[in-house]
Amino acid sequence: MLEVSQLTVNYGAITALHDVSLRVDKGEIVTLIGGNGAGKTTTLRAISGMVKPKAGEIRYEGRAITGLPAHKLVGMGLAHSPEGRMVFANLTVRENLQMGAYLQRDQAVIAREEEFVFTMFPRLKEREAQLAGTLSGGEQQMLAIGRALMSQPRCLLLDEPSLGIAPLLVKLIFEKIVELNRVRGLTILLVEQNANLALEISHRGYVLETGRIILADQAATLRADPKVREAYLGG
Amino acid sequence: MEFAQQLLNGISLGAIYALIALGYTMVYGVLRFINFAHSDVFMLGAYAGLTLAPRFGGDTFAGGLAVLVGAMAVTATLGVIIEKVAYRPLRGRSTLTVLITAIGVSLLIQNVAQNSKLGFGPNPKAFPAVFPQKTFTWEVVPATTNLVAKTPGTEPTAQITPAKTLSVNTNQVAVLFVSLALLASLHWIVNHTKIGTAMRAVSFNATAAALVGINNDRVISFTFALGSALAGAGGILYAMNYPTIDPLMGTLPGLKAFVAAVLGGIGNLPGAALGGLLIGLMETFVKGSRWSTYSDAIAFAILILILLFRPAGLLGKLRVEKV
Ligand SMILES: Nc1ncnc2c1ncn2[C@@H]1O[C@H](COP(=O)(O)OP(=O)(O)OP(=O)(O)O)[C@@H](O)[C@H]1O
Ligand SMILES: [Mg+2]
Repeated sequence: MLEVSQLTVNYGAITALHDVSLRVDKGEIVTLIGGNGAGKTTTLRAISGMVKPKAGEIRYEGRAITGLPAHKLVGMGLAHSPEGRMVFANLTVRENLQMGAYLQRDQAVIAREEEFVFTMFPRLKEREAQLAGTLSGGEQQMLAIGRALMSQPRCLLLDEPSLGIAPLLVKLIFEKIVELNRVRGLTILLVEQNANLALEISHRGYVLETGRIILADQAATLRADPKVREAYLGG
Repeated sequence: MEFAQQLLNGISLGAIYALIALGYTMVYGVLRFINFAHSDVFMLGAYAGLTLAPRFGGDTFAGGLAVLVGAMAVTATLGVIIEKVAYRPLRGRSTLTVLITAIGVSLLIQNVAQNSKLGFGPNPKAFPAVFPQKTFTWEVVPATTNLVAKTPGTEPTAQITPAKTLSVNTNQVAVLFVSLALLASLHWIVNHTKIGTAMRAVSFNATAAALVGINNDRVISFTFALGSALAGAGGILYAMNYPTIDPLMGTLPGLKAFVAAVLGGIGNLPGAALGGLLIGLMETFVKGSRWSTYSDAIAFAILILILLFRPAGLLGKLRVEKV
């Protein structure tokens, strides 16, 4: 469904990604783990058109999407819930969700998707008319995911959904991610610092270190790998 | 009654400043720079009015509205073109680069407008009637005659106190009515339409906006169209109260409106409207006082005070500028 081949990305003189190749098949949850500054966010940013790659190719559902602007990809069914959540703090929860469905013209579809998001995260429903900036970190993360879902994606790029959130909410959010995958058939490329949790819900995983893929395997195999355990799973 | 008269004049002038100030503040909201060519779009609005008014305006209120809407369409188009040609190629460059370009665009428009062959020529032109004109005058306190003896024992002399009147010109009513209607429409567009919500989204976080499928360039074009349409309307309403217009007429009201936008908090829409009203009122009251020669300076004194004591403006929140 999503195929990245030999991707190289530079920020000025810094090379953030060298020759990164990875693949996400339809219906999978694939996770990308790695330490700070390994290039996880950069990989997602390159896929969704926020940075232009120096070299390499990205294909989505068989089509080359390398270098397409971000706003075009949403219409192709590829959504990105970015690092740091980036909810529109000056808009209400409801307006945030409506912006998520920006390209959708059919009001009935928008209403149905909104209903779906509210059923998944009832807490957002309660705070419907509240400015997003006044939500807690966990609620903002729910909103960021909900907003991405409003575009009815077939593939979701999800960057650090557990960042700065209380453990109880992290558990809830991860349950919902699994549910989206199993029930809705949503394909997910997940980036996580919390490698343990991420590998637990994923089918496969890649380990990124200073801009290079150093390991790729089934999630269960990675979890058992002594090197991975030591470096990312706390021994 | 002096006071009521001044208040009315001040609100009319302030509403025009508000219309212009909104354009500065909206563009700042999505692009984080001051579009110095905005005051020239205002001037071009007045010239569009000059061209359209003899054909449609002067006789009926509807005709006046047609002139107004026509001029707004012209300036909206010009605003979109200016953004596309001058600012869009510089997207991603430093704010200073864009700012200097904006000053260049402003000078270019003024010079072309002053040229007799390409533009309108340097001489002021009489501005025609847009709306049907009539002046109503009310005697609020009638004139009185008193017999007063200056010193006891002398012959009393007649002393006449003139009537206190309030006069309202239909032009003033039109300015007030039209500008308030435009402010209300803008409020509705920004807060209750999809494109308006997208404007607010882009202004908060352009990256996140792109990630939900918003084409930033399109929203920016729309913002320029909206701001320039309001400036065009402002140009006509401003010209209606002055006998002539000229290619440099935009400079001073443009600067004052810019101060109004800063006063209200740059990037904040209700702030720009409030700032415009305050500047208009203060200017009018100073003009009516014995410091009248300073009426143009007052706006700049306010700018200095604001920058010193409340740089975020009255309604703005201070955001640290990311460079
Ligand atoms: N806008 C940028 N300009 C310059 N360098 C950048 C920029 N964004 C990221 N980098 C650099 O690129 C490298 C990869 O960054 P990236 O954000 O992709 O890492 P990450 O794996 O997501 O890290 P984290 O887990 O901390 O989020 C880092 O060395 C970072 O400093
Ligand atoms: Mg990251």
